[in-house]
Formats: sequence, C-alpha cells, structure tokens
Amino acid sequence: MRNRSLWIGFLLALGLGLSIALTQPQEVDPYKEAERQRELFRQTAGILPGELYAAQGEELFTQKRGSKNASLEACDFGLGPGKLEGALTQLPRYFADTRRVEDLETRIVSCMVRLQGFKPEEIKRDEVKALTAYVASKSSEMPINVVPKTSQEIAMYNLGRELWYHRAGNRDMNCAICHDAYAGGKVRLSPVRSPRQGLSNEWPAYRFEADKLYTLQDRIAFCYESIGIAPPEFYSEPYIALSIYMLAEATKGKHKFTELPGFTR
Amino acid sequence: MKKRYTLGLLAVLLAGLTLSQPSPFQQRVQQAIQNGGSKFAETMKQDPDQALCSQYRDKLPPELVGAFLERQRALIKYPADGKLMGDWKQGEALFTNPRKGNCYACHTGDPREAGAGRMGPGLVNYGQRGTSEAVIKYTYDKIYNAWATMPCSLMYRAGYHGILTPEETAHVTAFLLDPASPVNAKR
Repeated sequence: MRNRSLWIGFLLALGLGLSIALTQPQEVDPYKEAERQRELFRQTAGILPGELYAAQGEELFTQKRGSKNASLEACDFGLGPGKLEGALTQLPRYFADTRRVEDLETRIVSCMVRLQGFKPEEIKRDEVKALTAYVASKSSEMPINVVPKTSQEIAMYNLGRELWYHRAGNRDMNCAICHDAYAGGKVRLSPVRSPRQGLSNEWPAYRFEADKLYTLQDRIAFCYESIGIAPPEFYSEPYIALSIYMLAEATKGKHKFTELPGFTR
Repeated sequence: MKKRYTLGLLAVLLAGLTLSQPSPFQQRVQQAIQNGGSKFAETMKQDPDQALCSQYRDKLPPELVGAFLERQRALIKYPADGKLMGDWKQGEALFTNPRKGNCYACHTGDPREAGAGRMGPGLVNYGQRGTSEAVIKYTYDKIYNAWATMPCSLMYRAGYHGILTPEETAHVTAFLLDPASPVNAKR
C-alpha cells in the first residue's frame, strides 16, 4: 500500500517534470545548427562558401599581379618559399626579412608589397581575406603548433597576454572575463571557449549568420566591437599579439584546426 | 645641514619619478596599443581602477579591496527625487536593449525571454528578497556600479559610465524588485 502511493507520487512528479521540460523554450545547439546549415549548403550548392573564397584566393595567389608582375608563389610563410602545406599551423612567427612577428594576414600583405610591388594603401581587404582562406585551406584539420621561441615571438606573446587582461571601455571588459573566467558558459546563444580549449582554431571561417568570411583578425575586431571598444586597424600589432597568445595556448591544449576555412555561426 | 636636506629632497623626488614612470614593458604595451590606431587607442584608455584590475588579473589582493570599494562607492549617484525604484516596464526595455543595459546577455530576467546568457546568476524571482529600503538600495547600487560591491566584477559599471542614468537605474531596479514585473510573476 505504502509502496503504491510512493509509486503514484513518483509518476506524478515525473509527469510534472516532463511537462515543465517540454514547455521550456527550445534552445538550438549552435554546433548542431552550424552542422545542419553546412549540410544544406552541400546539398543545394554542392560547394561550401569557404571553398569559394579559397578558390578565389588561389587565383589571386597564382596570377602575376602588381607593379612587379609577379605571383605570390615565392612567398615564404615560414616553411620556405611557396610551401603552403601546414603553413598556418606555425603562424604567427618571426620573419627575418621584415624583422617582425607576422600572422598569416600580415604576411600576405608583406609579400604583396615586397614580391608584387603593391603599395600598402592599394591592397584590398577582400583580396587579403580570400588569400587567407586559400593559404589556410592547406592547414585544414592539422595540429596547431605555435611555440614562441625567438625573443621577438616571446615578447609578442607577452604583449598579447597583457592585452588579453586589459580592462577598458564603457563596458569595463577584457577578453579574460568571458573567455577564461566563464569559459564553457554562454553569452546569449554563443558558447564561450578559452584559448586552452582551442578558441581560434576555426578561423578563417564562413559565418552563416553574417553570410561573410571572417579571418581571425575579423573575428577579434568583432569581439572588440561587441564590448564597446573601437577595433584596431587591420594588420596592426594588437591582432598579431592576441593571435600568437591564443594560438600558443591552443597549442598547449593540443588542439587541431577544424576544417579550414571553417563553417560556423 | 642645508645640503643634506636638499639631497634628501632630491632623493625623494627621484624615487617619486621612477615610481610614476611606467615600466619598459608597460611602455611597450602602450606602443602596441598606439599601433592599433587612434580610435582603438582612445577606447583602450583606462581609469586607474581598470588598470588595477588588469594588473592583478581581476583578483585584487585583500589589502587593496577596502580602498577600492570605497572609491567605487563614492562614484554612485542617485535620482534627484530620491526614488530608487522606478517603472518596471521601462526597466524591462532597458534590461534587454543591447545598447543600454544589455543585462540579458548574461542574466535571465523574464524566463520567457529566449536566449538569455548564463554568465551571471539567474534573476528569476529576484523580488522574493522583498522591497525593504536595504534591498532596494543594494540592488540600485549593484546596477549603477557593480564594482562598489565586487572589485573587478565581470559586471560593468552601467551608471558610472553613463549607459544608465540614475533614473534609468531606478527603472531596472523596479524590473527586478516590483512584484508586478514578469521577473517575479507567479509560475
């Protein structure tokens, strides 16, 4: 008798719990949603937007352009001239020819200036983005391997870490507040990861919500914008510093790049 | 005697000068920020307590906490009419507006609002604390200047930065505490 009333109580509680669970607003899992959107692109277009950007980048890479009428095939991304396989995995790094630490995007600009003879002000952002997508596609799903070694790289890593903790703006924010202290949490629907958890391993990526290709610099700029800080100018030191910091941390966490260009919300 | 006095004064001055000079590393950080362009550099400028939080990675040593809280408390301003609880309906709009409070990026207020963030504690039924003067003032102060109760909190100082006026702060206070607000609706 006593057992039976316990059972009924249990079933009632279960029913109540279920009805509460079912009336809660359904939250979409952002990763599953990205996967679904990606499949839709595959099925309807047969190609992913990121692959289109990369194809456009390949054309720009191999064409003879600029005042020196040269292609970018002699550009050295750190593994030797023209060696693109895995090039992104070891960037940012120090380059003796420009005597500074460069990330993929600044390296592309340096090569456009030095090899092709473009003036910095002539360089179109969209071309750099497409070129970034192309070079990055040669490091798809490879382990990240950014280990600051030279004094310049170590200094850049330290600068990045300092910027990471720099609280400013009228929202009193820094990167660490969300990406370290609350890693694993959510800002609205966006899951937040720490650098050790592999943050930065999917860029450059096509963001289906924005319908645009975002490089890592674009993504950092977006972060600054959303915390009320005017983003740095492209190819400037804050990007290189934050990138080497995040990617060196991702390396410590033994992370790989996702498919590149990535596909994300 | 006089000479010794001058020397002592010089030493103190010199010590003061070295202490007020940013370290070579800090100078290099500033240089990198400048490299990001003038707009970036302008918004990256810090007030002294933002700089302190950055220096200690948002975990202040205990001996600095008292003075920090006192400085932050002194920054709180109140509405001219002295009413710390305003209109919850206006408060609701400020709570969800990304350009104003943007509170729901981190806090659930009205549980029917889909997609609220979870960085901050949930605020559903916040009003069960009652509406005593102490509760109202604590809530108002927290919204106006979160750093006056928690040094270097993730929560930004909405009133101090002028994102919410004192009157608007009172509206958000009402959204959390008014028994008629959807935050406190019987469910």
